[in-house]
Amino acid sequence: MSEISITGPGVYFEIPIFGGIPITQTVVSSFLVMVLLCTAGVLLGRNLKKRPGRMQVVTEKGVGMITSLVCDAMGEHNRHWTPYITALFLSSLMGSLIGMTGIFRSTTADLSTTATWAIMTSLICWYQSIKNIGLGPWLKGFTEPIKVMTPMNIVSEFAQPVSLAFRHFGNVAGGGVITTMVYWALSGASAALLRLASLSWISVTITLALAAVLFLVPHKGNKPGAFRKILGVMTAVLAFFGLLQLLGVLENVPFLQVGIPAVLSLYFDCFSGLIQAFVFSLLSMIYISNACPAPEEKSDPNS
Amino acid sequence: MTEFENFIGLNPWTALFTLCNLVIVFLMLKKFLFKPVNKMIDDRQKEIDGLFADANAAKQDAEAMRADYTRRLSEAKETSAQIVAEATQEANRRSDEIIRQARQDADALRQKAGTDIALEKKKALNEVKSDISKIALDIAGKVVERELDGADQERLVEGFLREMGDQV
Repeated sequence: MSEISITGPGVYFEIPIFGGIPITQTVVSSFLVMVLLCTAGVLLGRNLKKRPGRMQVVTEKGVGMITSLVCDAMGEHNRHWTPYITALFLSSLMGSLIGMTGIFRSTTADLSTTATWAIMTSLICWYQSIKNIGLGPWLKGFTEPIKVMTPMNIVSEFAQPVSLAFRHFGNVAGGGVITTMVYWALSGASAALLRLASLSWISVTITLALAAVLFLVPHKGNKPGAFRKILGVMTAVLAFFGLLQLLGVLENVPFLQVGIPAVLSLYFDCFSGLIQAFVFSLLSMIYISNACPAPEEKSDPNS
Repeated sequence: MTEFENFIGLNPWTALFTLCNLVIVFLMLKKFLFKPVNKMIDDRQKEIDGLFADANAAKQDAEAMRADYTRRLSEAKETSAQIVAEATQEANRRSDEIIRQARQDADALRQKAGTDIALEKKKALNEVKSDISKIALDIAGKVVERELDGADQERLVEGFLREMGDQV
């Protein structure tokens, strides 16, 4: 039984300048995501016609949906932030989903990525605040509503990107950790079952008989249901690999790792990736829109 | 670097690459996807608005034309009715006048005929009177067989005629 190991992004190679620039898995995935998104963007934005084709209808629908989402969350005057939010959302979504390929590591499972995006959002917020209300009033805003609150306000300002970054990173990386642990556990479980099944010819025969019973003997007059079928197949597979192990052909085949992790992957990669991308961009929108109030509200502090 | 530090640590180079990638994606999406798509949507919207505006204008024109035609038609009807009425009136007037004129003419003719008749009658009477007087003279001359002088003759005739005239 192998040791469980949870590692960060591995380093493929180092570019030997500036004391070695490490090209990690994250960098490769991130670059790939960038190329994919740019290609998709250029392809979709090409050959637009007044009388749209299928692809153009879908593109326009998508652009319209995300624009209306940004307008709803940030207000009509912040419509020009749509491309940034879209870039953030798609980079995050694709960065999470690229982990499903099994070849590349999710970019969002690296704190460097999420922290960069979070700090980027915070810098935009600060820049916009200072641009809109001026440096003095912005600094003075930290002492409100009372001066005692100043340290709290400063901490909350820094907590904002930290929470953004760790929320996204934690969800994706946590999903990866759990998936790794489940794989490890399933490998152990299948090894244990195989050891049991391949004790002798008798145990193999018993396992095979069990599979036959599960498959063939009707339960309460009904044909075997889906659960019994799955169980029967697994028992048959166990008997098969048990036989192979008994003969000394293959050893410790982790057959339980087939199928079960798919359900987890559906949750941790698809669902969690989508939700976290959405949450990240939604929070970014809210933070930025707080820094960019509508023009009529902007004049309020002065009057 | 321990495994845990590697797992949760920050790598400045990775961060820099990520930042670059995000900025590239942002710029590419903005330039090649959002700008043309939004422009296309706006253009189409504008075109549709234009078409609707044109259609509305055309409809309004048609409505105005219809109203104009209706008005003109009713005007023409009115005019024609007026013309007919005037013509009828004129014709009535003319016929009345003609009848009146005819009546007048007839009256005048009748009157003239009456006068003529009376005149002719008088003339005829006078002629008859003179004829008779001549005949009477001749007869009387024959009867008396004597010559009367002019004055006597005249007096005699006058007296005879007066008698005759009273009888006639």
